[in-house]
Amino acid sequence: MERMKALALLATDGPMDDSEDHAKPAGFPLEAAKTGDLAAFELLMRQYERLVLVTALRLLGTLEDAQDASQEVFLRLYRNLNKVETPGNLSGWLYRVTVNVCHDAQRKRQVSGPMEDAAGLPALGADPQRATVEAERRRALEMSLRMLSEKERTVLVLRDLEGLSTEEVARALGTTEATVRSQVSKARMKVKDFLERYFRRRT
Amino acid sequence: MNCRDWEERISLHAGGDLPPLEAVELERHLRECAGCQVLASGLKQSLALLQEAHDEPLAEAHFSAVRARVVAELEPERRRGALWARRRAWSFGLAAAVVVLLAGMALWPGRTPERPAPVVAANHPLVIADPEEPPAVPRPHGRVARRVVPSTVPDTPDPEPLMVKLQTDDPNVVIYWIADRKRGE
Repeated sequence: MERMKALALLATDGPMDDSEDHAKPAGFPLEAAKTGDLAAFELLMRQYERLVLVTALRLLGTLEDAQDASQEVFLRLYRNLNKVETPGNLSGWLYRVTVNVCHDAQRKRQVSGPMEDAAGLPALGADPQRATVEAERRRALEMSLRMLSEKERTVLVLRDLEGLSTEEVARALGTTEATVRSQVSKARMKVKDFLERYFRRRT
Repeated sequence: MNCRDWEERISLHAGGDLPPLEAVELERHLRECAGCQVLASGLKQSLALLQEAHDEPLAEAHFSAVRARVVAELEPERRRGALWARRRAWSFGLAAAVVVLLAGMALWPGRTPERPAPVVAANHPLVIADPEEPPAVPRPHGRVARRVVPSTVPDTPDPEPLMVKLQTDDPNVVIYWIADRKRGE
């Protein structure tokens, strides 16, 4: 528990993720991309790539699988651009498609991939001590998610990690808010129990 | 109420999913129950830990690799689409040209005033016998001498060919339909 506190405190002054800048709608290239403009579509990918790749990484656990899934999501987006009427619809559409693509990939795979992949991603910080702590934290995150069921993991990733509202999660998954609340509650309890055991064992 | 009954609500409360009234009720219970306080605190810490790990940025190379793969797959697709669009434009242009040509051919005679009676021109030079001339003495081999009179049909200049200019979607492509007209048309 103490270790968890230390990790959490250390993380509070960690580097901020700049992904929000990518999601800004300024100069939104959706309309240009609809005409087949690949440069505009690339700009669109830049705005949403964090959303897609990181969500896929949390759901699939390995970077390689997550990149494959992201590629598939963006190809589907390009081929369905006319179905996306406004930029406001795009995030919800992307979450829904990302979840579907990842679930398909998991069903095809059926076998758990190597645990070290996502957790072993090199840290961006230069401080080796900090890098160790971050790697440890990533490993804990990956292992926590892996011991959840597919539905619990999906709900936890969208609600607690990606920060969608319960309503948005329900819409993305085509389920009810009550189901989302029930699943996220179970997932949080399981993760908490797992992390306590995990850090107790390692200290 | 047993503390076990509070677990789901504590879990929901940790992520801010409990309705306000239930949250007030839960917080009252938490003030009185040390066991539930530990549970609530553990849940919040584990969620904070997950969020911090999740928010760590990924290297740009991971994103650019995906972008490159997507663009590599879409580029030939886009080129094929452009080619089809060009072909479609050509076929529309061609169809329109045919329509214009047919319409032009159908309407052309109506535009000219009364057409003069056609002059029948002999294809072969006319041969007229002169009555004052003594009858031709048959030649030993039996052939009749004849005088050749030039054709009476006046020479008319060749008419200008019919030309239809058709602009396509592509500014660099212009279709010209050129058709020869008969004399007198």
